[in-house]
Amino acid sequence: MDLFLQQLVSGISIGAIYALLAVGYALVYSIYNFTNWAFDAFMAFGAIMAFIAIASLAMPFWLAAILAIVLTIILAVGTEKLAYKPLRMRKAPRLFMMISAMGVNLTIVQTMNKFFGGTFRKFPVDSVQPIFIGNVSVGRMDLLAGAISFGVLALLWVFLYRSKWGLAIRASSIDIQTASLMGINNDAVAVIIFGLTGVLSTVAGVFYGIKYAVFPMMGTITIKAMIASIIGGLGNLPAAIVGSMLLGVLETLVAGYISSTYRDLFSFLFLIVILLFFPNGLMGKSGDEKL
Amino acid sequence: MGYINTILILGGINVIAALGVSILTGYTGLFTIGHAGFMALGGYLSAVLIKEYEVHFVLALIIGGLFAGVASLIIGYPSFRSRLRGDYFAIATLGFSEAIRLLLNNMKQVGPLNIGGSFGYSIPSGMATVPVVVVALLLAMLFAHMFVTSQHGKNCIAIAQDEVAAEMMGVNLLRTKLIALFISAFYAGVAGGLMGLFFAYQSPSFYSITQSSNLLAAVVFGGIQSLIGPFITAFVLVAAPQLLLVMEEWRLIAYGFLFVLIMVFRPQGLLGYVEMNFNFVKAGWNKLVARKSISRKAVH
Repeated sequence: MDLFLQQLVSGISIGAIYALLAVGYALVYSIYNFTNWAFDAFMAFGAIMAFIAIASLAMPFWLAAILAIVLTIILAVGTEKLAYKPLRMRKAPRLFMMISAMGVNLTIVQTMNKFFGGTFRKFPVDSVQPIFIGNVSVGRMDLLAGAISFGVLALLWVFLYRSKWGLAIRASSIDIQTASLMGINNDAVAVIIFGLTGVLSTVAGVFYGIKYAVFPMMGTITIKAMIASIIGGLGNLPAAIVGSMLLGVLETLVAGYISSTYRDLFSFLFLIVILLFFPNGLMGKSGDEKL
Repeated sequence: MGYINTILILGGINVIAALGVSILTGYTGLFTIGHAGFMALGGYLSAVLIKEYEVHFVLALIIGGLFAGVASLIIGYPSFRSRLRGDYFAIATLGFSEAIRLLLNNMKQVGPLNIGGSFGYSIPSGMATVPVVVVALLLAMLFAHMFVTSQHGKNCIAIAQDEVAAEMMGVNLLRTKLIALFISAFYAGVAGGLMGLFFAYQSPSFYSITQSSNLLAAVVFGGIQSLIGPFITAFVLVAAPQLLLVMEEWRLIAYGFLFVLIMVFRPQGLLGYVEMNFNFVKAGWNKLVARKSISRKAVH
């Protein structure tokens, strides 16, 4: 029973990271209808910027995190302006958007590989004693990661559903052309959306880096977030969170009770099974799935 | 000579796999970044058949290709069935190829067979010679040409252009996509098998995401809806770094940069929508004849 609870705790903490990433995908997908493959590069970029700020510039953790978030927002908005906006302006097919995003991903990840080195590095934070609840140990950083992840997601919800800009984003997600005819500034919405993905990816990247390691290819973990967002239902924010939690807990249980070799295979098979029985994901509505 | 042979063989293998990606991404409009997974499946199966069961290598390559094709249907069917235009499929191919690679990396023993895990699986060498690869390449090109000019190929192009309109005109979306996927994965499987025969071993490290991006790069640079474009670029992408000795890391950075530049400035790629034919010979002949008659008139 203790083992099970322990697995559950670590499953939820990894699920929280998946949730941040999955929500980032869902945001872009719901409005622009393409999978933003560059997202995992943003995650690694944010984590590496925070790493450099702490290790080389001796900044405190919170300041490094803020700096990394700001830099990643600049990067994310910059790629939107350079790589996606020209395509959107001439209504390019989705295939072209995906290829462009893949190009951004390759460029950023491989540049980091070149200048930062491909080695795994430990994130420079002091390790602290875990908290014990009964026999179950809970890492303080896991707790912080979970709390901040849910805090960020809650703030995002408030922003989307309780602010005028959130209304603009939700309107754009239903029909971006009609929204712009109603006086919503498409460019401003794009900046906000990609800025938000910068925030989400950096928070996820930093906590993932603390939990495991920092390296340029760390973004491959976002495959799991994509799988989670499909399991939930693509382009649907609450579904992305539910899917992430489910996937995080289930794959941790598989790793704990069977073997960590089969963890990734399991995630993939789980995706196939879900798609066979729920073609639109667990919570996705058929047809148009929106925020 | 050995050096030229190496480039010819590796280039040819890359072209075969890239033709498969061209049929799927270029013609049918389905984005894939997981074709290395199909290469791995076909490659490992044909290697096992040749080594353990002493099957003739041509037969083994075909069985490997068919196996990759069948495996592709397993991920194709559930992801095409949902109507979310290809995104599920792209993610599923990526997840699939990563899962296959990790599995091959970590599994040393499959039943009675020892496939070596991350150390790779050695097989007898000397079968992937230049003539073999050239014949395979010509067959692959011929078949791809026949496919894209057939009714199935036209259906694929219709789907790439507008899925809803294609369905209205009576194109069976699911079936057409699955056919394109099956052929595409078959090509990848055969290419994987040839790769093993050339290197005399199979290793999970051949089939990383870099391999998938190389194939995608060949199709994007070469051109959407073209076979000859990816043919040229897939070959050049293998040959150029070998000849120029460009560093691996810079190569991938340049690929990414070019992806974006091409999509922004020339989305059709180098030879997009251009097909290999001999019309230019005819056109040149007509021009020549016309010029002669004009000059003759001028004389009169």
